[in-house]
Amino acid sequence: MSGTINRRSFLKMMGWGGVGTALSGCDVPTTVTLEEGKEEVVSYLMPEEYVIPGIGVWYASVCTQCAANCGTHGRVREGRVLKLEGNPDSSINNSKICMMGQAGVQGHYNPDRITSPMLRKNGNLVSASWDEAMAAIAQKVTTSSGDKTAWFTGTLSGHQLALLNNHLEAIGSTKHYSHEVINTTVSQAVNTDMFGEAMPRYRIDKAKLILSFGADFLGAWMSPVHFAGEYAKFRTQKQRGMLVQVEPKMTLTGGNADLWIPSRPGTEGLIALGIANSLTTENGVDASKLPESVQALIQQNTVESVAKSTGVSAERIKKIASLLKQKSPSLVIAGSPVEGQSNGYNAVAAIMMLNHLLGNVGQTVESSGEFPYEQLKSKQGNTKDLLAFVEDAKAKNLDAVFFYASNPAYTAPDALDINAALKNIPLKVAITQFPDETTLQADVVLPASSFLEDWGTHIAAYQPEQQVLGMQQPLMEKINKDTKGFGDILLGLLQQVKKDEYGQYADYYAYLRHAFASMPSELKGGATTEDQAWNKALQKGVVSISSDNKSLNDEVAEFALPTPADAGSGQYYLMPSPRLGLWDGRHANLPWLQEAPDQISKVVWDSWAEIHPSTAAKLGIESGNIIKVKSDNGEVALKAILIRGIHPDVISIPLGQGHTEYGRYAKGLGINPLKIVSPSIEAKTGEMAMFATRVSISKTDMKDVIVKLGSSDTQMGRKFVVTVPVEQVKRTEGA
Amino acid sequence: MSLKNIMENWSDYRKGAEEGGHHKYEHKWALAINLDVCTGCNACSTACYAENNLAWVGKDRFEKGQAMHWLRVERYWDEGDQEFPDQGASFLPMMCQQCNSATCEPVCPVAATYHTPDGLNAQVYNRCIGSRYCSNNCPFRVRYFNFYSYYEEAWASPLNMQLNPDITVRNKGVMEKCTFCIQRLRAAKDKAKMENRKVNDGDVTTACAQACPTSAITFGDSLDENSAVSKLWAKHQVKRGPHKQDKNIKGLRGYRIFEELNVNPSVMYLERIREDV
Repeated sequence: MSGTINRRSFLKMMGWGGVGTALSGCDVPTTVTLEEGKEEVVSYLMPEEYVIPGIGVWYASVCTQCAANCGTHGRVREGRVLKLEGNPDSSINNSKICMMGQAGVQGHYNPDRITSPMLRKNGNLVSASWDEAMAAIAQKVTTSSGDKTAWFTGTLSGHQLALLNNHLEAIGSTKHYSHEVINTTVSQAVNTDMFGEAMPRYRIDKAKLILSFGADFLGAWMSPVHFAGEYAKFRTQKQRGMLVQVEPKMTLTGGNADLWIPSRPGTEGLIALGIANSLTTENGVDASKLPESVQALIQQNTVESVAKSTGVSAERIKKIASLLKQKSPSLVIAGSPVEGQSNGYNAVAAIMMLNHLLGNVGQTVESSGEFPYEQLKSKQGNTKDLLAFVEDAKAKNLDAVFFYASNPAYTAPDALDINAALKNIPLKVAITQFPDETTLQADVVLPASSFLEDWGTHIAAYQPEQQVLGMQQPLMEKINKDTKGFGDILLGLLQQVKKDEYGQYADYYAYLRHAFASMPSELKGGATTEDQAWNKALQKGVVSISSDNKSLNDEVAEFALPTPADAGSGQYYLMPSPRLGLWDGRHANLPWLQEAPDQISKVVWDSWAEIHPSTAAKLGIESGNIIKVKSDNGEVALKAILIRGIHPDVISIPLGQGHTEYGRYAKGLGINPLKIVSPSIEAKTGEMAMFATRVSISKTDMKDVIVKLGSSDTQMGRKFVVTVPVEQVKRTEGA
Repeated sequence: MSLKNIMENWSDYRKGAEEGGHHKYEHKWALAINLDVCTGCNACSTACYAENNLAWVGKDRFEKGQAMHWLRVERYWDEGDQEFPDQGASFLPMMCQQCNSATCEPVCPVAATYHTPDGLNAQVYNRCIGSRYCSNNCPFRVRYFNFYSYYEEAWASPLNMQLNPDITVRNKGVMEKCTFCIQRLRAAKDKAKMENRKVNDGDVTTACAQACPTSAITFGDSLDENSAVSKLWAKHQVKRGPHKQDKNIKGLRGYRIFEELNVNPSVMYLERIREDV
């Protein structure tokens, strides 16, 4: 306290000798009075506009934690956003949000956020001003850049995407790599051929039976919160819906199945053909409308032959077929373990064909209509673009690349040697919130605002009910003054190359207002003035857009027999499993999600490998043993967990951990299974076959403690969760 | 509470309000959780962290059993030695059951854990001396003790800006637990009082029930016969008082965990349904 004086001692001294004596010889006190104004003291008597001290106000916005783009309400009190909940006006999530959405505030307030622009000088990233950073970009990115300059992003939509495309056009480039590890690209290719629409609506709520081949619709799929809401209706409808899940490793959805069947990766398409065979031969389902080649495939693959080659018993296949026939309408869907094989397209096609055979098209598979604004539509990420990017970079075809909402240095398998590829790019610009693996290799780092500080519009790739445009607005002032919204950064870049056209907008907000004003009046819900329309849209958080009703294609596309090819040697299949929570690793820096136990294994803050007890016994592995998992392209060591919800030929390592950077909460935890993936290709779409890697497993002498929730895996005879058969409920509740 | 009072009215203290016990409730908050639609997704648990200033503790402390998850989602596998779990897993959201005859209450040496007129087991943080008797006595294991000042790490600046100002951040030496989002109840009651009316069903819900993507959790006042939660309890013929339910229709799905211990929980679960294939 030397040289300073606090309030209490000040008062004390006042008592002793009066103000004059007390202050003489002292510095100015650190705690000062309102009159002196040395410290910002804001009186509650004069609150800012709209702020009522102590009262939380909810504002609508959009969640960008995954590409589902749920509508949110954020509670704002005294200028801080405290909690996110779902927006009841959003048809995507109907007032609900998942754990990732809840944890959005932890990304926003994260202590590891980048607070100022950075430039690489003498090999190191050092703080710089926005002017310096933008000047460094302007030097290299000009109107004559052409295809040598590119964008590399995750899934994007809305006016940000429109501006990004305008930027590409302005510099004369066509290169926009869009990359997501968790995607549905292969299914979309199949759907386009099978139904005439890449993302038709799946009406889980209307199905009496869902047969899901690895589609984790309650977890890491297209729109988890929406599907969870439909799932509740599916389970509580008059005739209770039944869920059959066929997959290599139990997902969250599999954990909720009435019947869970393990499948050897790559055999799911054959199982579907076996079911089709039983449907046509034993259940009287008419296959005459199928193309002859498909009919021939179904005839060839008799139940017995399929049972033999897949390991799923003939009895089971027949049972599923008869249930499908009984419980109509049904819904058959396929997910990432099926798509991520070299035969992915054909396997998904064989599975989706069942919907035609069972008459589900138009019942549980509906058209989602056409979103009328092509330039705003979601551009979804895939893995093919990652491959193309690495190839272009290696061939030194890229002079400058902008990275946003994607972290390829983390997600790319070691076999691609992306770090070498990145070194070939003279100017790497990272627009980012966090010091992730890609950002720390960049030459220019532009600090982005969080999704709770930014303006934007979002069109979800999967539109579940009506087509909606989500309105994202800042819920509070920027925490770090020197960050900028993505839209503002895009606008700044555009102003560098097209000042005449974009100079008129002071900021992205002004651009959005201008864009919104030019939208047709029927979208503005009868508002009389432009301000009224805008405020209404912000208050509601969603703008409903009418789209033409379409019907789906009724013709079945041809496909070939889905026989899987192996990627590499090794006896076991590696599943780098996506999970609701850490997702593809982007949420590893949110402590709530690290501490939320994995839904199936219940492990926290770590990586683990799931293997079947019978496999473990064969290899002499016990729970907690450190094992080495080796593919043709690398090796990782981690602890094993024995879980019965997995095919004995499969080893599953969850996605999300193994960050070498990405802030204090993520760095150095666990391992990243993507690193040892062998980049084989799905033949039809050119996607990476992420689930086709073969590995060998060897045991080490080391052991580690498994940190997880719950010490007992069973109820030990106690009645915590009681399970009753559906017949009993029919008697009592008439369900 | 004098000793004389306890001796004379002992049996009343062991009875619920509906059996003429000593409680005079203003509200009796209760939950109904449908385990058939609970998917085990963790949305409720994370929402609870966000609403109630729950500290994350990190791997080492989690290992020692110090996690502060007021609402945790348990996962159980079926017993037996079948090769594969044919019917998936069983998920159980477990939080304080707000017992009417709570075993945690009478053992507190300083009356830091007590029963509110809303029928909740409340914890008075600034009275708690950290004896942990309550936690030891809880059959549900839903009381969480602050062995350390977890907040020092859990809210590294500026994460602290997210803290809910409606409730406290707890320091070491204090027991804490699910409160049925008492700050939300307080706000709803205040608002109703200002408007000179009763609290209506739907005025207030807990963070977990609000978040649940399948709406498996229903919250409300069980003294209000028309509340959704009362209707569910009535439909499944679960009464608050008895330690064994006597149902007209055998096999209705409602049940309370550890009801037989006569703790009289305020949470009714609905049995999970599975179809035998």
